Amino acid sequence: MGRISQHPILGVQNEEKKIVTFKYDGKDMQGYEGEPIAAALKANGVMVHRYTMKQHKPRGIFCAIGRCTDCVMVVDGEPNVRTCMTPLKEGMDVRTQYGVSDKPFDQQ
Amino acid sequence: MKIERFDLIIVGAGPSGLSAAIEAAKRGMKVVVFDENARPGGQLFKQIHKFFGSKEHKAKIRGFHIGEQLLQEARDAGVKVELNATVVGLYQDREVVVRMGEEVHHFKGDAVIIATGASENMVLFDGWNLPGVMGAGAAQTLMNLYGVKPGEKVLMLGSGNVGLVVSFQLLQAGCDVVALVDAAPKIGGYGVHAAKVARTGVPFYLSHTIKKVEGTDHVTGVTIAQVDNHFQFIEGTEKHFDVDTVCVAVGLSPMSQLLKMAGCEMEDNPKRGGQVPIIDDYGKTSVPGIFSAGDVSGIEEASSAMIEGRMAGVAAAEYLGFMTADEKKTELDKLSTSLESLRQGMFAPKNRGKNITETEEGIPISTNLLSKGFVADDEIERYPGVIHKAGIHPVIECTQNIPCNPCQDACNQGCISIGDNITALPISVKDSKCINCGMCVASCPGQAIFLVDEDTGDGKASITLPYEFLPLPEVGAKGKALSRKGEPVCDAEVVKVRSSKAFDNTSLLTISVPKEYAMKARFFKAE
Repeated sequence: MGRISQHPILGVQNEEKKIVTFKYDGKDMQGYEGEPIAAALKANGVMVHRYTMKQHKPRGIFCAIGRCTDCVMVVDGEPNVRTCMTPLKEGMDVRTQYGVSDKPFDQQ
Repeated sequence: MKIERFDLIIVGAGPSGLSAAIEAAKRGMKVVVFDENARPGGQLFKQIHKFFGSKEHKAKIRGFHIGEQLLQEARDAGVKVELNATVVGLYQDREVVVRMGEEVHHFKGDAVIIATGASENMVLFDGWNLPGVMGAGAAQTLMNLYGVKPGEKVLMLGSGNVGLVVSFQLLQAGCDVVALVDAAPKIGGYGVHAAKVARTGVPFYLSHTIKKVEGTDHVTGVTIAQVDNHFQFIEGTEKHFDVDTVCVAVGLSPMSQLLKMAGCEMEDNPKRGGQVPIIDDYGKTSVPGIFSAGDVSGIEEASSAMIEGRMAGVAAAEYLGFMTADEKKTELDKLSTSLESLRQGMFAPKNRGKNITETEEGIPISTNLLSKGFVADDEIERYPGVIHKAGIHPVIECTQNIPCNPCQDACNQGCISIGDNITALPISVKDSKCINCGMCVASCPGQAIFLVDEDTGDGKASITLPYEFLPLPEVGAKGKALSRKGEPVCDAEVVKVRSSKAFDNTSLLTISVPKEYAMKARFFKAE
């Protein structure tokens, strides 16, 4: 996936933004400070944000404007955080969500 | 519990909400606008294309620039915008309940304007909720606000203006759009939007829809198939595409829940996009003091939403005595005229669902444009913008009546004529002298104008076309000229490249082709 570095209409994008490091499922990942967590994940090729409670089906970015809640993840220990609306910060701990809890299925 | 009072509370800081706030604040009202997002402007900042309309509607200005102008106007008027503030309730006597962070605050407005906009519709197909399937609006948000590619290979479902415009924007972001698909037999959006996508080589599949999206953890492919008149799949017509992303642009629904909650009389009106409040011409609902404006009271587009917002702002100001009934009438008459002119033409709300086969001028509509996205060679000659004469001249491939006239204003040589009727097809004036300034090419929001010299003397013709992609070819670059259909038709060489502030990021590419292709070559693809 990746970033659009040069855009014919918008020019150079994200030029002045600060790069921050965050954790995605325990791994180090980088993104721009203040962009939605979902944008940083997308730029890093992450597609699956959570698995549904009953059928364990994968879900990812769907509406990107905070309406559908498909993109919720566990952020800094808190489950059900809308990653498309939540700004990325240095050192954030972002985890795939299983069901509606902050724990993996086998620990629920 | 403390309840703060305002003269006017507006919910939603998009085009209509901000416009309403500006009008009210200008009349001395104490106004606050609540918006759940971190930035104001609603969806305007994702609109990177040039808008249609006339000068008063800010035609030929890109949506995000209109957003910047609107924000500046709001700041100048002293409008207070509360961001990250979600309105969760609208109760008796216009009590507004707002969630800000972890707290819930109560406010009271002597008047309230609901300008909450709309949300995207979805269709259900096998795999519709697999990661990689997203709303066209989501793709627009990722690429145009955050500079992230929504995907590499994308299939677009929906040929309304959103589907067409976002497909073009995906191409601009460097994505590969493998197909544009719609279950309807006809393209829903403006022909010019379809044509600028088609000429780059994107195939259109009308009367087709998605049968299945494939992939286990994320999208890896999609199968579409043809549908009959009853939208049932026709066996054996399946086509498969390897894609990582499927965008869905199948309309919008008003987010009218707050109005319903407040007890406003509602109706289910398919022409307005679903559940909408019953309002008068200026946004007044059945509940005294509550008004609505923009997409929440009927799906249209940002230009009309801004006018509706101003109307509701004026109506609320008069309701509370901040202006006289006479002043209100003068203002509203002016705004109504402006709004009426946007609601004309083939795509006007009043014409939704009608089968229009002829233009206002009595010229048959191109059937290829409606079913394939481009006007065929044997159809293009019948439109008044397409003429033949010696020397360079504009060829205007604008073939449907839409409310738009920047081309007429752009030409100070009188080469282009639309007249006072904003929806009339532009005429390329035979008895005029084009000075090759290129302003018409750059100003056409539909990218439908080409400067053509059918014979440059050496067996060649030159065609100047609008170009909004990267990398921008350089003079001397060789490649293929593509037809309106997006198929390579002949060799082409770039002989001139123009970029200018006045063109607002639309570059003008002049290509030289064998002269028999003067009326066929409409896009350039470098080798």
